[in-house]
Amino acid sequence: MEKYVNYITILPEAIVSLFAFVLMLVDAYTGGRKRKLYAWISLGGLVAAGASIGWIAVLLSTNASMAPVSTYMGMLTTDPFRLAFSTIALVVSALTVLASMAWLDEDSLPAGEFHTLLMFATVGMLLMASAGDLVMIFLGLEILSIATYVLAGYRRRDLRSNEAGLKYYILGSFATAFLLYGMALTYGATRSTSLEGIRLAITSGKVEWTWLLLVGGAMMLVGLCFKISAAPFHVWTPDVYEGAPSVVTGWMSTGPKAAAFAAFLKIYIAVFAVGAPILGLAGATQTALAIIAVTTMVVGNVVAMVQDNIKRMLAYSSIAHAGYALVGVIANDWHSVAFYLLCYGVMNIGAFAVVAAIGRRYDRETMLDDYRGLGWESRGLSIAFAVFMFSLAGFPMTAGFMGKFLVFKSAWEKGLSMLVIFAVLNSAISVYYYLRPIVLMYFSAAPDSDRRRSVLGAAAVAALAISVAGVFYLGMMPDAVLKFFALSAK
Amino acid sequence: MTFENTILTLVMFVPLLGAILVALYGRSEDGNSDGIKKLAIGVTVVTFVLSLPLAILFDAKSAGYQFIARAGWIDAAGLKVDYHVGIDGLSLWLVLLTTLIMPIALLASYSAITKRIREYLVLMLILETGMIGVFCALDMFLFYVFWEVMLIPMYLIIGVWGGERRIYASIKFVLYTMIGSLLMLVAIIALYLMHGKATGFYTFDIPLITQSIAAGMLMIPLDTQLWLFGAFAIAFLIKVPLFPFHTWLPDAHVEAPTAGSVILASVLLKMGTYGLMRFNVPMFYEASISLAPIICVFAVFGIVYGALVAMVQPDIKKLVAYSSVSHLGFCVLGIFSLTSMGMQGALYQMLAHGLSTGALFLIIGMIYERRHTRQISEFGGLATPMPQFSTLFMITTFASIGLPLLCGFVGEILVLIGTFTSTTLEGAKWFAAVAATAMVWGAVYMLWMFQRVVMGDVTNPENAKLPDLNLREKVVLVPLVVLMIVMGVYPVFFTKRSQPALDAAIQKSSPVPPQKAQAPARMP
Repeated sequence: MEKYVNYITILPEAIVSLFAFVLMLVDAYTGGRKRKLYAWISLGGLVAAGASIGWIAVLLSTNASMAPVSTYMGMLTTDPFRLAFSTIALVVSALTVLASMAWLDEDSLPAGEFHTLLMFATVGMLLMASAGDLVMIFLGLEILSIATYVLAGYRRRDLRSNEAGLKYYILGSFATAFLLYGMALTYGATRSTSLEGIRLAITSGKVEWTWLLLVGGAMMLVGLCFKISAAPFHVWTPDVYEGAPSVVTGWMSTGPKAAAFAAFLKIYIAVFAVGAPILGLAGATQTALAIIAVTTMVVGNVVAMVQDNIKRMLAYSSIAHAGYALVGVIANDWHSVAFYLLCYGVMNIGAFAVVAAIGRRYDRETMLDDYRGLGWESRGLSIAFAVFMFSLAGFPMTAGFMGKFLVFKSAWEKGLSMLVIFAVLNSAISVYYYLRPIVLMYFSAAPDSDRRRSVLGAAAVAALAISVAGVFYLGMMPDAVLKFFALSAK
Repeated sequence: MTFENTILTLVMFVPLLGAILVALYGRSEDGNSDGIKKLAIGVTVVTFVLSLPLAILFDAKSAGYQFIARAGWIDAAGLKVDYHVGIDGLSLWLVLLTTLIMPIALLASYSAITKRIREYLVLMLILETGMIGVFCALDMFLFYVFWEVMLIPMYLIIGVWGGERRIYASIKFVLYTMIGSLLMLVAIIALYLMHGKATGFYTFDIPLITQSIAAGMLMIPLDTQLWLFGAFAIAFLIKVPLFPFHTWLPDAHVEAPTAGSVILASVLLKMGTYGLMRFNVPMFYEASISLAPIICVFAVFGIVYGALVAMVQPDIKKLVAYSSVSHLGFCVLGIFSLTSMGMQGALYQMLAHGLSTGALFLIIGMIYERRHTRQISEFGGLATPMPQFSTLFMITTFASIGLPLLCGFVGEILVLIGTFTSTTLEGAKWFAAVAATAMVWGAVYMLWMFQRVVMGDVTNPENAKLPDLNLREKVVLVPLVVLMIVMGVYPVFFTKRSQPALDAAIQKSSPVPPQKAQAPARMP
């Protein structure tokens, strides 16, 4: 609609990219020795991008028309949806930067490359949040994924990390191919790659090859379900999450997952949820997704119960949480999904930051047994970890409860009562395994051998403090965030 | 900011404030912890004193909520939650029971808890805030928050300071409660949305929703009512616990430290019956009528079953735990007799059980501290070395059995008469008749236990030189025993304050012609 290039709407992505390039140069010219500096540069970039998001929010809310602003020939859409998911991406990445500093030093890994990769991945997430076109979604996803493959295998000398990187790369490429093929078929059926164009084509009944749309839709669904690690496309998750460095796992399970949900929601709203009479597309998708959601929750929660490795346990928990968020997707209420993912991001990054601190160099101590009696040794860490576990389990006053509550409420409002009851029973089951670390930390005696105390560093302490505060803030005073997400609903 | 609308908030949050103080106070290690113990006990005593005006200033003629405080909490994205607290005749005495039991429980664990004392006290104080909050919350969301948050300290208290099988018991306790309460959460959401759709007014407000239902502004079809009733009832009946959901209780009771058992028996179980009286009966009256016979079958079965199982327990603590199953069955029966008298009896029985069973657990704790065993066979003839102890034990035993002029009698007789005269409950007379036998069963297992522990000659030489009660133990037990007698002799003091609220709970929900029904007083 604009005749000129609207620089404001691309500002967040531009800022983060710019900082990433500066970071690469600084890294090259300082020979990788100013490790703290790189972290501060990337934090600065993320904060600046956050400020630009705030500015856009102000512009949007003072804009009289309040219509979603579509720029770059419909490639980018600036609406509350974008602002919400961009915020999640920035928060998650910023917390990861803070949590990663001590870990990178402990493992003596190059810091510059890590932060650069993280920044580019963030650009990918931001693009996925703002995409108004299948092509942009794919572009964002690829920028994100390629950086993520490298990050998962970031411990070059660690076999498990290598395995994680490689596995994620191969399976991820395969899933991306599905997604891309699905997009191509959808384009063939609707003659448009723009989400708005696809939606219009479906509602006005201009789809000539409806079966092509169905096949395309199904293939996109497969690709997206892989990215959000929904069952039965979740098999890669435990291995990759276990092998990747803990801080990276924390980030992977929250940031890229939130971005994948953003893409999922966009495609769902444009293609699947349209109430057009095309072979019952909407109904069929809803049923399929309901089955996927229930399977995801059950697989995640049941298998998590028998894990002995905390990272695998949290990986299955992450699968289960994808199932809860899917309930919100099916209810077609992106506000609650976005809020849920923000809550999940804060608590899960916090949990993995603790896992990283306790696991120490090369994540050697990640078995549940390593947590025995820790509650009375590393008090601060244990209390933080207990808070995250209670939040993941969904106890009131924590972010996890508020997120679930909103998702379940909107699902119930849409008449998905059986799905809600399934989800609720699942979260009752999940309490069992979230309590296991607490049982070990507080109810069991510490082993006789002396343990070295974990070294955290100020930045990681800050990350944990912010996460704990965030868990309580989102759980007790969600007003501000919810109002920000619902900018247009005023 | 008047006294009336701040006092309840103070009572609720002074313990939490105390918890923060205890957490920060001094740097004493486990060996020297008198300071924080005294501080914590002081906080609970202050809370108790603060709660006394509630009873004194309570308007006994009013059926409505008093000492109301209200403020907005969350208001975004179609979610409207208020901080809304207040008490009526139903919750008044339960709040006072809580504030009374807490200092006693802390004093009782003065010497029994030897490790991680600071954490223990902090959790106890948080628990007190949670428990008072449950009884005072007038917003379903707030109620749910307190209901769940209270689980965490209790879980940790059982798990860290409990007996040998504490891990099993604590996890069972949490899982059982969680499954029930999450279904209640779904029902809360459903009720919220239903009320919003019917009246255009989205709220979690308990009085408002109850009024809308009573005034016919929110008509819930019977089959929906049955679902909602079921979701609430499962949460509450697990907590009560009604047979067959009772299996977590003996485990939790036996493994918990003395103070934990006391609080569990005196207050936590009452939350279940309180919830039934606050939500199920007034909100889903038609469903209550149609499901009452089934629940009463389980209640009566539980009364007899609990008594029979209690009879054969070799462990005193387990015996008392099963007696709770039996006594709480009485409460459920009284509630679902759906008569004002039955409800009054249920409430009275809740209070009486809180006092007498709480005291029994304290007594068990006292002899456990002396002998480190709870097996009945290890004791015998305690009356000789411990006469004062045995006297108080005897009064408590009689109160628990329901001897006239002691607290247990009033509740049981009201429940029985209420059930017997109930017109809504099918087969009411049969229920009453079977339940009445429990008075005999109760006498059998309690007196037999008392006889084997206290009467006769000292058979075990280890018991011969046990010291009698010390001053702290007397301070712990005597107030409870005095209250048992007061409640038995002068019940009107208590019942007249709760009667209007209980009458209203039944009347509000009975089908009223629309023109007579009062419109909700206030639509905020």
